[in-house]
Amino acid sequence: MSILVDKNTRVLVQGITGLQASFHTKRIIAMGTNVVAGVSTHSAGQTHLGVPIFGSVKEAVLKTKANASLLFVPAKSVKSAINEALDAGIKLIVSIAYGVPILDVLEIQKTVKAHNAILIGPNTPGIITPGEACLGVFPQNIHQKGTIGIVSRSSTLTYEAVLETNRAGFGQSTVIGIGDDMIAGCHFDKVLELFHKDDQTKAIVLIGALGGAYEEKAAAYYQTIKNKKPLIAYITGFENFTDDMGYASDILTHGKVTVDDKKQLFKKAGAIVVESIDDLHDVLKEIK
Amino acid sequence: MNIHEYQAKKLLSQFKTNVPQGKVAYTPLEAKKNALLLSDKGPWVLKAQIQAGARAKGHFLDQDDQNLSGIMFIKNRKDLITVSQKMLGHTLVTPQTGPKGKLVSKIYVETFSPAKQLFYLSFVINRIEACITLLVANETDNILDLAQKESGLILKINLDLNERIKKSDVMRVLSFLNLPENLFDDLKTFLQNLYKAFICLDATMLEINPVGITKDNRFIALDAKISFDDNALFRHQDVVFMHDDYEVGENVLRASKCGFKYREFEDGNIGLIVNGDGLALAVHDYLKQMNQKTACYLNIKGGVDEDKIAQSLKIMMTNPKVEGIIINILGGFLRCDLVADGIISAVSEIGLNIPLVARFEGTNKETAKEILEKHHFNFLTADSLQEAALKLTHAMKEND
Repeated sequence: MSILVDKNTRVLVQGITGLQASFHTKRIIAMGTNVVAGVSTHSAGQTHLGVPIFGSVKEAVLKTKANASLLFVPAKSVKSAINEALDAGIKLIVSIAYGVPILDVLEIQKTVKAHNAILIGPNTPGIITPGEACLGVFPQNIHQKGTIGIVSRSSTLTYEAVLETNRAGFGQSTVIGIGDDMIAGCHFDKVLELFHKDDQTKAIVLIGALGGAYEEKAAAYYQTIKNKKPLIAYITGFENFTDDMGYASDILTHGKVTVDDKKQLFKKAGAIVVESIDDLHDVLKEIK
Repeated sequence: MNIHEYQAKKLLSQFKTNVPQGKVAYTPLEAKKNALLLSDKGPWVLKAQIQAGARAKGHFLDQDDQNLSGIMFIKNRKDLITVSQKMLGHTLVTPQTGPKGKLVSKIYVETFSPAKQLFYLSFVINRIEACITLLVANETDNILDLAQKESGLILKINLDLNERIKKSDVMRVLSFLNLPENLFDDLKTFLQNLYKAFICLDATMLEINPVGITKDNRFIALDAKISFDDNALFRHQDVVFMHDDYEVGENVLRASKCGFKYREFEDGNIGLIVNGDGLALAVHDYLKQMNQKTACYLNIKGGVDEDKIAQSLKIMMTNPKVEGIIINILGGFLRCDLVADGIISAVSEIGLNIPLVARFEGTNKETAKEILEKHHFNFLTADSLQEAALKLTHAMKEND
């Protein structure tokens, strides 16, 4: 098992013919992902990288039974592309592009919820279950099938965490970048819940950052779990630095939040907190 | 992106929000002229235009005058020139600017609007609940203290995305502020116009602190701060033109011309060049553990051009505080050897008199390492963050 994606996931790529999309689609197929369809209004009826192209998501889903969508469409078109996928009944959507306007994301969130679907991203490397499925732009050849679930906001730190789990000799069950935009589709607590239901996952690595309160929500949720899997958290951020003017964002978090505040919450909830990303492999080794 | 108060007020008045009459001035003479154009006998308010809050609590760095702050109330016209002289061209330090402060190059001259009641109001993107939230408080000072107490002293209302403010929400604000019911319509219009502005302008934060209620029961925005969603600026060319280059600083501008992000901190003496914020943070945390501090970092994410990478190193070396550099690259789409070539190209042109450690991971890391190690400059390389941090601090000691 793993979470959200595996070898049975039938992947649809929206915007498949673009330069970046082609590059990455080719890679994920090589990594074993079951890409069953592409959507592009210009190239409908053709095949691209051996994948049949359809003019609409609805048609693609009808003909290929695709059940997850990977979006390579530009930021400005993300909203309409996600709406199209949701209308066609897709329940798992991964949106890679960075730079999606926040108001668009707010609207998207509402629709995703109404459809009872899961959105990963935007601004994310995606999701990967090593050896089975990759819906994203992860570096090649660093992932190993294994037992650690990784969830992170920062994409580059996700890769570091993957290398750390390899160093400890574990490999990964599923790796998810929830995205580092102001609003993320899927939050830490949801992913923690899924990892706890998954047999393959023996321990979880969470990489959080300053800004927002997804970590607070995750720590509160972890505290409530009865049969906890080990959770190792690394929280980082540049303190005393913000582009924000005014007080409004700090009011929402009940005052200025520091990295230490977030770390304390995880410690209280029963998680192991590491001070540096390099410490991960040593801590992992101590877990049975 | 942030803008100045005078720009925010201009935008808000386009959305039919009451604001005091005002004119921006760049010289003391202009300040006086503008003040007299607005009203022949005052009083006036002179407001330093910097993009940071708490100006009234601020002080000027090189001024002895204890009564001088970023917001000055002026009764006599003879003071217009003397006070603006003390503000313009001087550095204002407020609780939000950091100790370095910000240079005041323009002031906003307004007619003074007396108010019988003041309150705090803002609209903000709520990251947790994925919505827009309206915040209201009776106090206009020490807002953050109120927020920490969490005892209902700040009213929070999550809004629908349809630009409408519900009647019931207006009622809640009205009773929270203890306002009479005959102000319902005016309050509704005031809130509605601001919310419309927030959505139409793709704002991430719109703060009016304070809102004033005048004797004749009008709501008026006495201050205005707006932050915009950078990702949506393509829809707002008129807003893009309001960008103040001075506010972001020279190196940030130079970096942004290459498509890179540059950030500078108050103290520290180590510069980081990375291709992803996470990589900078990882090194930053390591340095912190070793009691070292980051002076600045430059994120070259998305850069796949040797010249631009060379440029990034040059930008970093113009920061006089930087006494050592760590380059932390996780190659994927960006090849490590390209970064190594960029480093050599910059150093061949301008030299290098401080230690530099590079840590490469990912695409072509071996080639990159070889390029640097073979070069006659004393480049250092490392395989892990820890090694990079240790090697750099050691080399910096020797370099002293």
